[in-house]
Amino acid sequence: MSQLSVPTSTTAKRRTVDPEPTEGTGGGLTIDVSEVGERLWRIFTSMRTALILMLGLAILGLIGTLLVQVPAGVQSDPQAYTAWLDTVRPKYGGWTTPMEMLQFFSIFSSIWFKGIIVLLTTSILACSVNRFRGLWKTAVRPRTRMTAVFFDRAPHSATIDVAVAADVAVTDVTRTFKSHHYRTVVERDGDEVSVYADRFRWAPFGTLMAHISLVLILVGALVGSTWGFKNTEFAVPVGSTVPVGNGTGLSVMAKSFNDSYYANGAPSDYVADLVLYKDGQQVAAQAVRVNEPLGYGDVTFYQAFFGAATDVSVKDASGATLYSQGVPLLYTADNGTRRVGQFLLPQQGLTVLVVSAASGEIDPAIKPGMVQLEVYKTGAGGGQPIDTQIVSQGKPIQMAGLTFTFDRERQFTGLMVAKDPGVIFVFGGALLLVVGLFLVFFFPSRRIWTRIVPGPSGSEVRVGATTRHDATFGPDFQKIVGEMELSLAGKSGN
Amino acid sequence: MLKMSEYSFIAAILSVALAIVFYAVAVVSVRVQRGRAAVAAGGAATFDGGTSVAVTSGSSTFGTYGTLVAWLSFAFLLASLTFRTIATGHGPFANMYEFSISFATGIIGVYLFFERRYHQRILGLIVLPIALLMLLYATTIPATADPLVPALQNNLLLTVHVAVAIVAYGTFSVSFAAAVLYLLQSYGVPRLPRAELLDEISYRAVVIGFPFMTLVIILGAVWANVAWGSYWSWDPKETASLVTWLIYGAYLHARVVRGWRGNRAAWLLVVGFGATLFTYFGNLFFGGLHSYSGLN
Repeated sequence: MSQLSVPTSTTAKRRTVDPEPTEGTGGGLTIDVSEVGERLWRIFTSMRTALILMLGLAILGLIGTLLVQVPAGVQSDPQAYTAWLDTVRPKYGGWTTPMEMLQFFSIFSSIWFKGIIVLLTTSILACSVNRFRGLWKTAVRPRTRMTAVFFDRAPHSATIDVAVAADVAVTDVTRTFKSHHYRTVVERDGDEVSVYADRFRWAPFGTLMAHISLVLILVGALVGSTWGFKNTEFAVPVGSTVPVGNGTGLSVMAKSFNDSYYANGAPSDYVADLVLYKDGQQVAAQAVRVNEPLGYGDVTFYQAFFGAATDVSVKDASGATLYSQGVPLLYTADNGTRRVGQFLLPQQGLTVLVVSAASGEIDPAIKPGMVQLEVYKTGAGGGQPIDTQIVSQGKPIQMAGLTFTFDRERQFTGLMVAKDPGVIFVFGGALLLVVGLFLVFFFPSRRIWTRIVPGPSGSEVRVGATTRHDATFGPDFQKIVGEMELSLAGKSGN
Repeated sequence: MLKMSEYSFIAAILSVALAIVFYAVAVVSVRVQRGRAAVAAGGAATFDGGTSVAVTSGSSTFGTYGTLVAWLSFAFLLASLTFRTIATGHGPFANMYEFSISFATGIIGVYLFFERRYHQRILGLIVLPIALLMLLYATTIPATADPLVPALQNNLLLTVHVAVAIVAYGTFSVSFAAAVLYLLQSYGVPRLPRAELLDEISYRAVVIGFPFMTLVIILGAVWANVAWGSYWSWDPKETASLVTWLIYGAYLHARVVRGWRGNRAAWLLVVGFGATLFTYFGNLFFGGLHSYSGLN
């Protein structure tokens, strides 16, 4: 089986040979299984790989901002997709087809995007596994003694000659470290004393936290898209009750909807007074605003849009009411001059379209206070209507053997209904990410080795440290050494 | 109050411009003297922090004046933003005019923080003009104080989300300036601060900026989840901020990857700042959910 020998990139032994720590690849994997596995491991633990993947993702993101992206839901409907492609064709000309084939118009669900995400996740996990043991050892069982060679080659080093014995010098050394909030480990070996000092030794785990958190966020996104749902077109006409579906057993009643405006015409508030029912029982009621959604269990209702609705009732020959609801006019037709809504009469196998003039439009046929009703056979696929009539408000009319009445005009509130069980992972990951980053960047871990040996005039104190590209360490190191010198000089004067 | 805000804004523009003049004189005279000193010493010397180099009182006086005026402009900008906040009742982040002033404030504030630490006024000579351009840009767009549209009616998130963004953008400007100097140096422009020092300044700036940028995106996601019902919708501004984040993330890794250290890492910072500006000005041309610029 494969055996992991964790790279000693954080221990000094390696540093003495190569003071500049190399990228995370470092030590090898002694592998019997296959060379391919080893190479893959190298590639995925290499920071260069991660770097290139990140830049690749950035390029995809750039494409996603610069090119128009196909709206959600359109792509699954081939007819709508073709129509949508035709709308962007004037903009991109002959490039449209090749860009479509390269999935540039749906870049965030493209094979490129998914591929990079999978590779990056693998890289993050491989790097984390690769680094864990090294980090753990550095924090828990650090190497406390260094040889003379280390101090000769360390990027930061100093030698202080003092007139006292090593045993005496060590108190000053540890005191200086402690005054800088370092933890010290003293080790004696004959007449030689080693002092190991470190600070924020747990902070490097912030790197690990930050990287793992990204995986957690991706898991959250996956959970959300697998077990959640999102309905962006949930319209509830005022006075009507509309079932949510998706197995929730919920339905929403809109008591009122109000849109208000500032003097300059900009919107000031959209508020819908909603009542929520579960299996017929009222479970919640709230005035829902843009920044104040209604949450029930794991389902949330957001105020998203609004528009005109029409109350229509349908009776059969015996006078029994088949339908009496608001019909939201969700769609526009004829270049936006008309608004269209539809409802089904399932028992009769009929689909009814309700058409009205868009607000502010003067329609020669459909005058104010009128709507046009079109009755189709359900599933006929856009064929000729069985009957089309323009009706005035309150005047019953016979169509397809039924009585239709346009009762009144209303507004509908457009809600976005979302259930996202992945959110908790996403925000958990986000929290971990921030904590991790602040740990890494604002609590830089420091390690300094000191070796005190008998010297010509008493003892020789050698101080050395390596840094991991931490620019602020140099001055701090100088300061500590300076203070050490000062306090030891006082000693030698005695 | 709006009048007061406007007066402070104009005072800020004038003082930033004046600061740039002082900085230019100070930097040029210091470099000239160093050049002479180097020639006198018979070799091309590299110099570290401005403090360690003895310069005649004339140029350092200009530098001190420059710094003073820069602080003054920062104070004027803060005053302008404060007056506007009082007048409108919300953080000064609701349209392009307010956000441009805030952005300039962030740039100058972060720069002054770095000047106190590293004493490299030559950085200011790149950073302050960026801030000045932002302010001049603000003068070209309507300054109307419109009330908030429904989606922005979340004072806490509006304030924190955008305030954090301003710190991030400010640090990215400083890292950009240091990266430009680094690249100029590597292409042979003499008498610039040491390459290591410039590298350090860029890195320190990103080390502050990156967690803040992360926070911006996360707060944006939290807000989007509250207001739009989805923490992520690939809205162009969201995507652009993610691209920016990825570039700076790549930079942090590039600094420890052989072959990417140095010039390539510096180029990433230049590209990263380009992405920052793209994210910032994005509302103007790609629409989407963030179209609050007030310029449509």
